[in-house]
Amino acid sequence: MKEVMAIIRQNKVNQTKEALVKDGYPAFTCLKVLGRGKKTIDLSIVQDIVDAGEMPISPIGESLTESSRLIPKRFFTLIVEDEDVAKVVSIIIDNNQTGNPGDGKIFVIPIEESIRVRSGEKNADAF
Amino acid sequence: MLMIRAIIRPEKVGVVLSEMLSADYSAVTKLDVYGRGKQKGIKVGDVHYDEIPKVMLLCIVNDEDKDDVVKIIMKNAKTGKDGTFGDGRIFISPVEEAYTISTGKPGL
Repeated sequence: MKEVMAIIRQNKVNQTKEALVKDGYPAFTCLKVLGRGKKTIDLSIVQDIVDAGEMPISPIGESLTESSRLIPKRFFTLIVEDEDVAKVVSIIIDNNQTGNPGDGKIFVIPIEESIRVRSGEKNADAF
Repeated sequence: MLMIRAIIRPEKVGVVLSEMLSADYSAVTKLDVYGRGKQKGIKVGDVHYDEIPKVMLLCIVNDEDKDDVVKIIMKNAKTGKDGTFGDGRIFISPVEEAYTISTGKPGL
């Protein structure tokens, strides 16, 4: 089993979700996260909007104005069998690629064991 | 590649992130989490708090950079000289593959 962990754009979650369910991977978990990547980002344009008060001061505005400068993203994670990893990765890439920096990252992490809480079934049976 | 998951105090996030940036480990993801540790939370008077707000920092680094990043987090997330209960924990787990979505290329 592997965990496919993708950090994607906020507005791409629905599309990714639909594409995955179409190919038979309905199970996933999604979290709201803030983050930054390798490139330093020029946020001067956003700064103008924040200064002009056009952007809500919600966590988004706050995270952009604080010194650490993090960008809101969605953390999309699902656990699949080893042989499905390549397929899931390509579905996620196809649906999230805009070609611009900031599209996100995908990480594949080994999972030792999975248990279904309802019945106690383990590993493959738990899917 | 290794994934470093550090659970630290929310007030220490700013300093840890800026230190990581100046050491050129800029890529990081931040999650707000709630949890308790070995000390079973904190007890203030009669009230027992066992869901203490913390922040989880998640970063994926090459094997050789691990010690460096761990050292930066350790140094900056500590409170006081010797550290205090509740300063948090760092977990490291293996990452087998990584892809950049914008280019579709494997690797960090």
